[in-house]
Amino acid sequence: MGLLSLLRKLRPNPEKEARILLLGLDNAGKTTILKQLASEDITTVTPTAGFNIKSVAADGFKLNVWDIGGQWKIRPYWKNYFANTDVLIYVIDCTDRTRLPEAGSELFEMLMDNRLKQVPVLIFANKQDMPDAMSAAEVAEKMSLVQLQGRTWEIKACTAVDGTGLKEGMDWVCKNMKK
Amino acid sequence: MFILDRILPFIFSYIRPFIKWFLHAFTRLSELQRICYGAKAGASRTSQVERSLTLSKRPQIRRLVLDLDEAAPYVSNAELLDFAPRAARIVMQAKRIKNNVHPDFARLFGTCVTSIWGYRRLMHQVEQLRAEKYDSDNLDHEQKLLRLWQLLMPDTPLTGRVTKQWQDIGFQGDDPKTDFRGMGMLGLENLLYFATAYNDAAKHVLLHSMHPTLGYTYAIVGINLTSMAFNLVKTGAAKTHFYNLVVQHRQDFSTVEDFHKLYCYLFFEFDRFWMESDPRNIMDFREIYQSFEITKLEALHNDSTIFKTNLVVESV
Repeated sequence: MGLLSLLRKLRPNPEKEARILLLGLDNAGKTTILKQLASEDITTVTPTAGFNIKSVAADGFKLNVWDIGGQWKIRPYWKNYFANTDVLIYVIDCTDRTRLPEAGSELFEMLMDNRLKQVPVLIFANKQDMPDAMSAAEVAEKMSLVQLQGRTWEIKACTAVDGTGLKEGMDWVCKNMKK
Repeated sequence: MFILDRILPFIFSYIRPFIKWFLHAFTRLSELQRICYGAKAGASRTSQVERSLTLSKRPQIRRLVLDLDEAAPYVSNAELLDFAPRAARIVMQAKRIKNNVHPDFARLFGTCVTSIWGYRRLMHQVEQLRAEKYDSDNLDHEQKLLRLWQLLMPDTPLTGRVTKQWQDIGFQGDDPKTDFRGMGMLGLENLLYFATAYNDAAKHVLLHSMHPTLGYTYAIVGINLTSMAFNLVKTGAAKTHFYNLVVQHRQDFSTVEDFHKLYCYLFFEFDRFWMESDPRNIMDFREIYQSFEITKLEALHNDSTIFKTNLVVESV
């Protein structure tokens, strides 16, 4: 490799940077997903006060992933992070049947926002390793995700703690990035 | 950077024996003796002894370090105190240090040994508590959680085990059990110790956390501070504090209670730091938490640092 092409490789390419928003109720597994994407230790995760951000390289993209805390008190601040989002990833705790309606209403309410109008949505049906977890299809049905017609969206089953399904999800993200 | 990171330590590992031989020939003292007589008691001396022991190439000393490392996590207090005479005997034999010529060496060196392996045991004890998941079927865990509420909110009874009231002391939802996550019982024990041992200070901090604009989520921030304290111990950064602590408090070794006290110090200090940073809202947490951690890490770079847990609340 010549020096010039090496330099070209080192130069950041602004067109290939993307802003990913990672949202969901508290205890859905957002921070664990973020840490898995960045190949960091996930055993000492703590509840997110505020937000975490990490840059992850994937498929030639530099993904700036914003993981915003999911607790009730922080949700009013979610909208401050909507602007310029390329893909929204919404994480569902598939063992938490009681709060699934809450998760659904938060998602649909948020998608009314103009700044998220054209933004593709990936829904991660997390915690598939748990025996009582709902399947991705069940979650899609209960949340009536069919209402999302007209938008690019996808639901993927995953297990954040061992990383299962995350790669597939991120491949989808890179393919469907807002142009 | 490459030169500093890789080549210098490499060269140093080769010339270290020559430097040691040179100094030994001129001072007639082994490296460990020079440290014990020359370095200031506390983190300075203990860290240098630790370094000298881990870099030692003598088979007897390497064996000793391995043996003590293997035993340390599970020893009782009495067994831990046995480490010092054992280590002193082996080192004095290997280095031919005679007790009648150097009557102080065994004592000075032994103090460092107890402190070093006391810290290593503490690392293990703290990790065990962290790895213990909060389990709502465990009566002991449940009682501790309820006691935390009583200590922080003595005038307000809980209306139920699962209730929105938990958010008043800064848990995320109506059941705190999922909030302990990666910090496990260490997070709860820390919160509980602060509320028990320094009840006034804890309530004072809780009151700050309820401020309408400068407020934050007390329990969640507390669990994140457990993570900070845990990482300071795990990375070894907290050695400065604990090595100085045992000397200043005339203890033999540091205990889990000392870890809780470090946590209380961090919580009390963080609260002040947060207020002084004039945050816009909780979304500034990450930035303020990181700058706070940096100031603490910088302080620990100074050999004489000891975090004083002098949690006095001025009553107005």
